[in-house]
Amino acid sequence: MEQQPTQRISQRALTLWRIYGWIQVGIILLLTIGLTVTVFLWDWPWWIVLIGLGIALLEVLSFVWLVPSLRWKRWRYDVTETEIDLQYGLFIVTRTLVPMVRVQHVDTEQGPLLRKFRLSTISISTAATVHKIPALDEQEAERLRQSISSLARVAEDDV
Amino acid sequence: MFEPKRLHPISAIINFVKTLKDAALPLIIVLVLNGNIFSGEVEWIPLLIWIGVLLLVLGSGIIRWLRFTYRMEEGELRIEYGLIFRKKRYIPIDRIQSLDFSEGIFHRPLNLVKVSVETAGSTGNEKAEAELTAIRREEADSLEEAIFQEKKRRNGRQDDETWDTEEVQAEMEEPKREKVYAMSMKEIVMMAITSGGAGVVISGVAVFFSQFMDLLPVGTIYNEILDWIQIGVLVIAFTALVILLVAYGISIVMTILRYANFSVFIDEDDLIITRGWLEKKQMTIPLNRIQGIRMEENLIRQPLGYASVTLISAGGSVLKNDEHQLRLLPMIKKAEVGEILKKVLPDYDVVDDFHQPPKRSLFRYILRHSWFGFLASIPISIFFFPYGLLSIVAGCFLAVLGWLAFHDAGWNILGDQLTLRSRGIIKQTYLMKKYRIQASYEKQTYFQKRAHLSSIEVMLTSGGGRSLASCYYLEKKDTEEMMEWYRIKRAGEKPSEE
Repeated sequence: MEQQPTQRISQRALTLWRIYGWIQVGIILLLTIGLTVTVFLWDWPWWIVLIGLGIALLEVLSFVWLVPSLRWKRWRYDVTETEIDLQYGLFIVTRTLVPMVRVQHVDTEQGPLLRKFRLSTISISTAATVHKIPALDEQEAERLRQSISSLARVAEDDV
Repeated sequence: MFEPKRLHPISAIINFVKTLKDAALPLIIVLVLNGNIFSGEVEWIPLLIWIGVLLLVLGSGIIRWLRFTYRMEEGELRIEYGLIFRKKRYIPIDRIQSLDFSEGIFHRPLNLVKVSVETAGSTGNEKAEAELTAIRREEADSLEEAIFQEKKRRNGRQDDETWDTEEVQAEMEEPKREKVYAMSMKEIVMMAITSGGAGVVISGVAVFFSQFMDLLPVGTIYNEILDWIQIGVLVIAFTALVILLVAYGISIVMTILRYANFSVFIDEDDLIITRGWLEKKQMTIPLNRIQGIRMEENLIRQPLGYASVTLISAGGSVLKNDEHQLRLLPMIKKAEVGEILKKVLPDYDVVDDFHQPPKRSLFRYILRHSWFGFLASIPISIFFFPYGLLSIVAGCFLAVLGWLAFHDAGWNILGDQLTLRSRGIIKQTYLMKKYRIQASYEKQTYFQKRAHLSSIEVMLTSGGGRSLASCYYLEKKDTEEMMEWYRIKRAGEKPSEE
């Protein structure tokens, strides 16, 4: 149990998550610009703008720089014949075991950004839970989906 | 059973009453707006509309009854209905999980039952797949029998071996079901008295008496105006108290009516729970749908040595009226749980020796329960200065709860059964089988990693979607053992049917 799962998600996930981070920063910056305008219009205290800029800076530090790489390093998975083993989480590290017999169906999904990076998110559903592995390589996700669904079919069981 | 059948005509009336109940508010509003009925000055048009609506509802009830037919055909339960749009619903017998019977006030004098058809697909808050509003009890029984026969013919065999022997014996006798538990009246009354409402009433009484005590000794000193204000407060407090007591009394009576004659039967591979006095309810739970057992002890019942036991069951629209329906033993001496469970679900063992979290977790438990209370007490103390300080007491209460939670937390593995015990406010013990657990999680924060602690969570599926059992801040090696236990059997061996 001590040893971590072996597989990692795609390196390109890093770039993708950084882009998500930049988008967030962009939104904060837009809000800050809006605030700056109101400061000039209605003589609001100017430190509001500083707060906005501060948040943006923090976001650059965390969501663009720190969080994606930590998250990527933490994310590991293993899919064997009998079970799916996941490890993820920034502050709370979660290790999840899903027996293959419990898997009901597998989906892959791909948004526009993911498609651009040839990445794909796979979600594995049981009767009670949904487990996602984000940002896998497109082909890897496809291969995984097929193998899980065929393994799950073999390991038929009630409920 | 091939010819289409109608429901009992009384269902037209039941339909009518039900629609009326749903539409009661607008109808009453119309009536009130048209308020001068009794003063002689009747406005005819609104009244006519009102009568018209009533007739329409009654008519639709009758037509709906006329249009509703059901029959068994080609291994399907076929229902055709619809007022304006004709609808047909064919349910394959294989998919029918159970038939639940209930009897309302309209049903009882005529020996009728309402039948809800539960299928594997119908989950959560949805209604039952199909509902036969009122049919004769004999018909309901023969329907159940027909479904059972059909299922048996299709499967060719009974898939549950455990019950085979009992089944053979049971089929000889006329009533096949075997009674395994009946609730005594004393237990029902105890349950009604100690229900959640009790806490509210007790605090209500406390508030009332604190007001009362305040008033008594100083009443004569105060001048008259102040006296009147105080009496006003007293009157309000008294009224509130009376309302509380009445509500409490009603809830006690309702509980007693609802749970009277509570008994549990085993009928081959189904568990049957019947209860109710005015309105009889019968729940059928296929044994192989049971996912786990939850035992609960709340703060009032625990000191009295009582617990309640609830089934976690997959599928079925059992959550329609919250989980109360799945209470297997609503109120039971904790010491007796094991013995009764042995009769009902012999696979599950009640264990009492638990591995507990280590001493260094105590602080985390207290913090987990009380941080919010203490945090909230800061602004409350500041804004409502002298009295606001009382909120610190609430924080301390939560801290004590955290201390209790530390003592109650524990885990046990016995063969293929995992038992997790934990407390939020209510102490909960989950009994779970390895092959019923959908997924298991081991969670660890950075600080817990340094202290070699971690938490375990396991997920079961239930009618409402899911059910999470957890135990926090255990030794890291303990959670690892549990994860390993969950993993081990996967070495090829297929879990046997229980």
